[in-house]
Amino acid sequence: MSVLVSVEQVEKSFPLPGGQEYLALKGIDLQIHRGEFVSLIGHSGCGKSTLLNMVAGLSLPTGGIVALDGHTITAPGPDRMVVFQHYSLLPWLTVRQNIALAVNAVLKNHSPAERQQIVEEHIDLVGLRHAADKPPAQLSGGMKQRVAIARALALRPKVLLLDEPFGALDALTRGNLQEQLRRICEEHQMTTLMVTHDVDEAVLLSDRVVMLTNGPGSRIGNILTIDIPRPRRRLEVVNHPSYYSYRSEIIYFLNQQKRIKQWRARRSTVVARHGLEKINLEIGFVPLTACAPLAVAKEKGFFAKHGLEEVNLVRETSWRGIQDGIQGGYLDAAQMPAGMPVWMSLGGGDNPPQPVVTALTLTRNGNAITLHKRFYEQGIHTLSQLKAYILDSPSRRLTFGVVHPSSMHNLLLRYWLAAGGIHPDQDVVLKTLPPAQMVANLTAGNIDGYCVGEPWNLRAALEGSGFTVATDLEIWLGHPGKVLGVREDWARAYPNTHIALVKALLEACRYCEDPAHHDEIRELLSRRAYLSTDPSYIHLGDPQRLICDLDRPMREYAHHRFFLGAGNRPSRTEHLWMMTQMARWGDLPFPRNWVEIVERVCQVGVFSTAARELGLDVSYQRQPIQLFDGIPFNGEDPLAYLNSLAIKHDIYVAEVALDRRPVLL
Amino acid sequence: MTTTLSSPTKSATVKFDLAKYRDQVLPPVVGIVGFLLVWQLLASANLIRLPGPWDVWMDERSRYLILHPLYRNSDLDQGLLRQTLASLQRVAIGYCSAALVGITLGILVGSSVWINRALDPIFQFLRMVAPLAWVPISLAALQRNEPAALFVIFITSIWPILINTAVGVRQIPEDYINVSKVLKLSKVDFFFKVLLPSALPYMFTGLRIGIGLSWLAIIAAEIVMSGVPGIGFFIWDAYQQNYVTEIIVAVIYIGAVGLLLDRLMSVLQNKIANQ
Repeated sequence: MSVLVSVEQVEKSFPLPGGQEYLALKGIDLQIHRGEFVSLIGHSGCGKSTLLNMVAGLSLPTGGIVALDGHTITAPGPDRMVVFQHYSLLPWLTVRQNIALAVNAVLKNHSPAERQQIVEEHIDLVGLRHAADKPPAQLSGGMKQRVAIARALALRPKVLLLDEPFGALDALTRGNLQEQLRRICEEHQMTTLMVTHDVDEAVLLSDRVVMLTNGPGSRIGNILTIDIPRPRRRLEVVNHPSYYSYRSEIIYFLNQQKRIKQWRARRSTVVARHGLEKINLEIGFVPLTACAPLAVAKEKGFFAKHGLEEVNLVRETSWRGIQDGIQGGYLDAAQMPAGMPVWMSLGGGDNPPQPVVTALTLTRNGNAITLHKRFYEQGIHTLSQLKAYILDSPSRRLTFGVVHPSSMHNLLLRYWLAAGGIHPDQDVVLKTLPPAQMVANLTAGNIDGYCVGEPWNLRAALEGSGFTVATDLEIWLGHPGKVLGVREDWARAYPNTHIALVKALLEACRYCEDPAHHDEIRELLSRRAYLSTDPSYIHLGDPQRLICDLDRPMREYAHHRFFLGAGNRPSRTEHLWMMTQMARWGDLPFPRNWVEIVERVCQVGVFSTAARELGLDVSYQRQPIQLFDGIPFNGEDPLAYLNSLAIKHDIYVAEVALDRRPVLL
Repeated sequence: MTTTLSSPTKSATVKFDLAKYRDQVLPPVVGIVGFLLVWQLLASANLIRLPGPWDVWMDERSRYLILHPLYRNSDLDQGLLRQTLASLQRVAIGYCSAALVGITLGILVGSSVWINRALDPIFQFLRMVAPLAWVPISLAALQRNEPAALFVIFITSIWPILINTAVGVRQIPEDYINVSKVLKLSKVDFFFKVLLPSALPYMFTGLRIGIGLSWLAIIAAEIVMSGVPGIGFFIWDAYQQNYVTEIIVAVIYIGAVGLLLDRLMSVLQNKIANQ
C-alpha cells in the first residue's frame, strides 16, 4: 500500500488574545495509506479536529508539512472532501440540489447529463430517493448526514474526511449509519480519516486508530492497528476474540489521559520538611493482598513517623497504570512487580529505556497458578498431565492470563510451562489482563487459567470457578513478589526521602509479618480504599503448608512473606535472573552491559542505610537461585545459563544505553 | 374536516369554529370598541380637548373626507387617498434606493473586516441622527423640497437595512463557508448560492424595520416642508386651520398605511426568506 496522506512533524498553534500562543498539536507524524481507514480519537480539545482540518486544508500547520500524494496541502479542495458533524447542508436547497451544487462545481469536465447521473446514483447509494426533493429541514439528523456523505462521495475524493460524523445522532441511527459507511468505504476502497469520540465506532470502522494525548501540545500517544478481517459487521465484530482487547486498549488510553489531566491540575510543588527533600508523595499500588505494607505504612502511621507526612496512595487497576504513572512522573514511587524496574530500564514494551531503581523487596511469594475447574474434573492435576492434554488437543490452544510482561507471574508461569515441556508462546497463548479481571475472564471462558497474586487464586477456588494447580512455593520458594520502584532521577533528586520511604515501608513489612496483626490487616485491606472485597478472600499466609493440597483443591493460602531481614534487600542475582527470563522469551534483548544495569537498578546502599538506621540485622549471604526443576542459577555467567535452557525464543544480545532523561510532562 | 364526515363530527366542527371565533376574533373587536367608547366618554365629559369618534363622523368636513377619498380640487386640496398615494410614491423612491444602496454597502461591509472597521464608526454615528434633523441639512444641500424629502426617507431607512445585511453576511455559518472552500465554489456561485440565501433573513429584517422608519420619516418631512402634496402636509394644513377632526381622520390613514406596509413586508419575508 502506498502512502496517500503524509503528515510530517506537524505543529499547530493558535494566537491567543494578549499576544500569547496556544500550542494545539506538536510533533505529529502520520502516514495514511491508500484505501486505509484511520480514526483519530482523544478527549475534547486534543486537537483531533484541528489535525483533520489541516489535511482538509481548512487550516494550515504552523510547522511541518501535510502532503497529499506528495504535494504539500496549502488550500482546501474537493479531492479532500469533508463531512462535518453538523452536516453543512445548505438549508435553502433540496437534497438533490445540495448534491448537484457540489457535483456541478467540482466535476466540470463531465457533461451535464453525466453529472445528473452521478447525483442520482449517489442519492440511491444512501437510500434517499424518497426524500430527494425535500429541503434538509424536513429530514432527520441521520438522513441529513447521509446527504452529506452522498455529497462527499459523489465527488470521488482521494480522501474522505469525517469530522465526528455521527456525534449528533441517536444510538440506533448511529449504528445503522456506521454500518452503511463501513459498507460504502469497503466497497469503494475509500481512503478515510475520521475524527470520533466513540470507541466502538473506531474499532468497527478503522484499520488503525490514532490516539491523541491531551492538549496543549497534543501528540500521538499510541497507534492501534485493528486486525479484524473485513467485511466487518457491526453485530458480529464484537464476537471477534480481539475486539474487547482493542476496545479496552483505547479506553485505557482515554482514561489515562483523563487522569493525567487531573494530575496536572493537582500537581503541587515539592514540600520539603524535617530535612527531607520531599514529604508529599504520590505512591501507586494495585489492589492485591501484597499491597499490605503500603496500606499499613499509611494507616498505622509509619510514613508519618519517618517524616513523610503527606503521602497519598494512588490505586491503579493495572500494572500498566503503574508503569505509565512512573514513566510520566505522576507517581513518585510505586509498588511494582519484581521485574518491572529491570523491564522499564531496558525499554520494555517498545518504550524508550527509563531507568528505574529499587531499594526494597516488599513481598515474597503470594502468587499461584490457577486452572479452570474443568481441568480438575478431567483429572488434570499436574504439569505433566497438562502437557499431555495439550498434546492431545492440538486444534485448540489454551489461553492463560498474566498481569504484565514484567511481572513474576508472567516469568514464573512461562518457566513452569517450559519446565514441563510446553512452549509458552507456541503451545499456548498468554494474554495480559489486569489482576481484578482474571476471575471474571476465567468464568466467562475467555482464558483457561492464569498466574496472579492473591486474592485472585483463592477467590477462584472459593467461588468454584478454578483451582490452584501450583502455588509459587512449588515453583520457586521465596521468590520476590513486589518491589518498591522509583525513577532513577527521582532517587537522585530526593535521596533522603528515598531512605525515609524505605524505612517506613520496611517497618510496615515487619508489622505485616507478625501473625498477631493478620486479622487487623485483613480487615484493613478489605476496605474500599484497598481491595474492597470480603476479608474471607484475603489471607496473608499459612507458612505451614507449602504444597497445594489436591485433595482439597479449592482451599489454598497465599504464604506471603513481608519481612525476612536480608530478604527485603534488593537482590542483584534475582534481578539478573529476571533479566535472563525476559531475554529468554524474546521480550527484551539481553543487555551486554548487564553488570552496569543490575548495579544501577538495585540500590542496595539505600536499603542498607535504612536498615542500619532502624537497627535491623540484615546480614546477607549470597546464594544461588534454585527453582523447582533443579537448574541452578548463580549469576556468574547468565549467557551460559540462557544457552543451557532447552525451550526458549531466539536470544538477542545488545548494549542498552541508559541515560538520565528529563521527565516528560 | 371534510364534508364526507357524519353529522356528529360536523357539529363538532361548528363548535370548534365557534371556539376559534371566540378566542381569535372577539378579543380585538372588544378591544377596539372599548377603546372607541372610552375615547367618546372622555371627550363627552370634556376631560380631553379632542373631539370623540362620534364627533368626527358627525363633523361635515371630516365626513366628506371619509366618504370622498379621491376628490381633487387642486394640487394641495385632494382626497386623503390621493394625498397618501403622493406620500407613498416618495416612500417608494426613497426606500427603494435605500434598499439598493443599503444591501450593497451591507454586503461590502459584512464581507470585509477592513472596510467594516473603516466605515462602522461613521455608520454608527449617522444612524443616531433623528430623521427631522436631516430636514434642514437636506433642504440646505438640495434646495428643493421634493428631492430633500426623498433624501430624508433614504437616509432614515438605510441604516437598519445596511447594518442587518452586514450582520447577515458576517454570520454565514462557518460550515457553509468551509463547504464552499472545499468545493472551491467560484465567487459568483458563492455569492448567489451561499452568501445571498444565507443572509436573506437578516436582510428582510432590515427591510421590514426600514419601511416602518421611512413611513415615519415621510410624515415628519412633509409636515416640516410645507407646500408639497402629501398626507403629512395635509395634517399640518388642517392644524393651521384648526380642523381637528380632519387631523384625526388623516392619522387613522397613516396608521393603517403603516400597518399595511409592515404586513406586506412580512408576507414577502415569509415567502422569500423563510423557504
